[in-house]
Amino acid sequence: MRVAPAARSVVPVITAVMLAIGGAAIAQLSAQEAAPALTLTPGKGADLTMARCGLCHEITHITRARLSRGEWQDNVRNMIERGMPIAPDEIPIVVEYLATYYNRDSAAPAADPAAASAAAAQDPVQRLLGDNACLSCHGVDQKIVGPSFREVAARYAGDTGASARIAGKIKAGGAGNWGSIPMPPHAGLSDAELAQLAAWILTRK
Amino acid sequence: MPDKNNVLKGRPVVAQPARREFIARIAGAGVVVAAASLPHELFAQAAEAPKPSADPAGTVPNSAVLAEKNPALKPHSERPLTGSVTAENHNFAVTPNDRMFIRNNLLTPDLDAGKHRLTVKGLVEREVTFSLDELQRSFPVVSVQGMLECAGSGRAAYVPNASGTPWPPTGGMGCPKWTGVRLRDVLRAAGIKPGTAHVAGQGGDFGVIATAAPVIRSVPLAKALEENTLIAFAMNDGPLPKIHGYPLRLVVPGWVGSASTKWVHTITLLDAPFKGTFMDSSYRIPRIAVRPGEKMPADAISTEAWPVKSMITYPAPNATFKAGKPVLIEGRAWGGEGAIEKVEVSFNEGASWQRAAINSGGDKYAWRIFSYEFWPQSAGYATVLARATDDKGNAQPIVPAWNPLGYFWNGIHRVGFMVEA
Repeated sequence: MRVAPAARSVVPVITAVMLAIGGAAIAQLSAQEAAPALTLTPGKGADLTMARCGLCHEITHITRARLSRGEWQDNVRNMIERGMPIAPDEIPIVVEYLATYYNRDSAAPAADPAAASAAAAQDPVQRLLGDNACLSCHGVDQKIVGPSFREVAARYAGDTGASARIAGKIKAGGAGNWGSIPMPPHAGLSDAELAQLAAWILTRK
Repeated sequence: MPDKNNVLKGRPVVAQPARREFIARIAGAGVVVAAASLPHELFAQAAEAPKPSADPAGTVPNSAVLAEKNPALKPHSERPLTGSVTAENHNFAVTPNDRMFIRNNLLTPDLDAGKHRLTVKGLVEREVTFSLDELQRSFPVVSVQGMLECAGSGRAAYVPNASGTPWPPTGGMGCPKWTGVRLRDVLRAAGIKPGTAHVAGQGGDFGVIATAAPVIRSVPLAKALEENTLIAFAMNDGPLPKIHGYPLRLVVPGWVGSASTKWVHTITLLDAPFKGTFMDSSYRIPRIAVRPGEKMPADAISTEAWPVKSMITYPAPNATFKAGKPVLIEGRAWGGEGAIEKVEVSFNEGASWQRAAINSGGDKYAWRIFSYEFWPQSAGYATVLARATDDKGNAQPIVPAWNPLGYFWNGIHRVGFMVEA
């Protein structure tokens, strides 16, 4: 098949995520940008945004979007209505991050890895917490959907079998210990990872 | 459970306390389901038998859904799963299952048809519950070819980009043959109480987290009573595919796809539109057009029937033809609640238009096939535009009015192709 030079301008860019939407010959699509990034731009609030939004969505929902501050506010409000677990004081941090780095009306500032908590990236426990979306439902000090890690540590204080019990709970999920909202299972975690998380939680008290 | 005679005499068996009451607590208008009342059972099961998989128990993995689809169907997002084929892959009279678009709000539930029940409640004389068999035995079974189109179909064509999944301009629709029972027959069996204004559907889909709000949408009673509005159990003469609502779904043809609740297990009659996030914050458009980029105004209205729209299904973009030989341009046109009056095509970027032939007949909400024999006279790059007009005189706009959530894109479709000497 030949593509005439004139046709190229109306063939949409084929991106990594939206594989081949080619063929829709609408002129407006030529404005589409290159493949969306698969990670958030490092900056203040990036980790929190990843933890909260990444629970239910792949992150290209954000990286391919360029919205006004108002539209991001609407989006976050809408997702909270739909059940997004987030603490009240986290909302402005997420909105600010989105409106700063993915804004239609103003260019994104340079990535700010320092603010993105370099420590979190290097700490294996923080990485486990992030990768498994633990922080979407549990704060260190704050109950979100599930209990805070501090509450968990306090309940198991003095229990010599606590580490194994907590590891088991993380792996199998379930409800009833803290309320009726169930925790999903995390069957993909290795025993070593489970032990690492359990040990970390128990030291939060 | 009710046999045919019981139902027709208006004495269906009164429902037992709903088997899955924890999922379906829409007690009536104005009651938003409490987040904490969501499916505990699902995670409880998972806790007993954890699987080494990221897919929650009771769901169909995306890979299994996509394995049943044509390779031309491309996902636009994976969580939630959405995807569609482009116009040139729609050149069928009836959309095959493997090319029907996908639009989930949550996960794809893996339901058991034998255990599935449909409950009708709310403003009814008597709450009724049916198994699949009982529905098929109790009511006339009808087949209807009808359009479903995601409200956001075409969103990517809006400038500036609107918020939401970037659906390409021609993908998110299809016109399969649906088989089921009429919603109105089932509602009447339950007894529609005076004051009923809206009918809400809720399906068995659920989210990754227990707090995910259930997807509940309602339609005005008149549309629920329309003879083509179905509770469908079959698509193209076979069981509904899991991704398209197995074992039972609503089909509200001509309207935004979200009205056609997949995996439907509860239908609730209400005295007002259902109040919930999927009615009040999504699937809305401004009453009066807003400046592009602005937020949704407070007095926005719910999306209902699609406006008139068309797409060119042949040729594919950048196909090559010979000068002096005919090219049979073909496409599809549909009009929400309106009938297609005419389709025009242009080969000079809209400077002049010719009438295309339209197939007459067909079900009320089925798309119409249009065609035009084009004789390219000279070599070079050529384009074809198509524009449909409905029986109320509404024509497709050159550029549809921008709206914050990017719904109802029905701009004129344009395909370029090459003519060689």
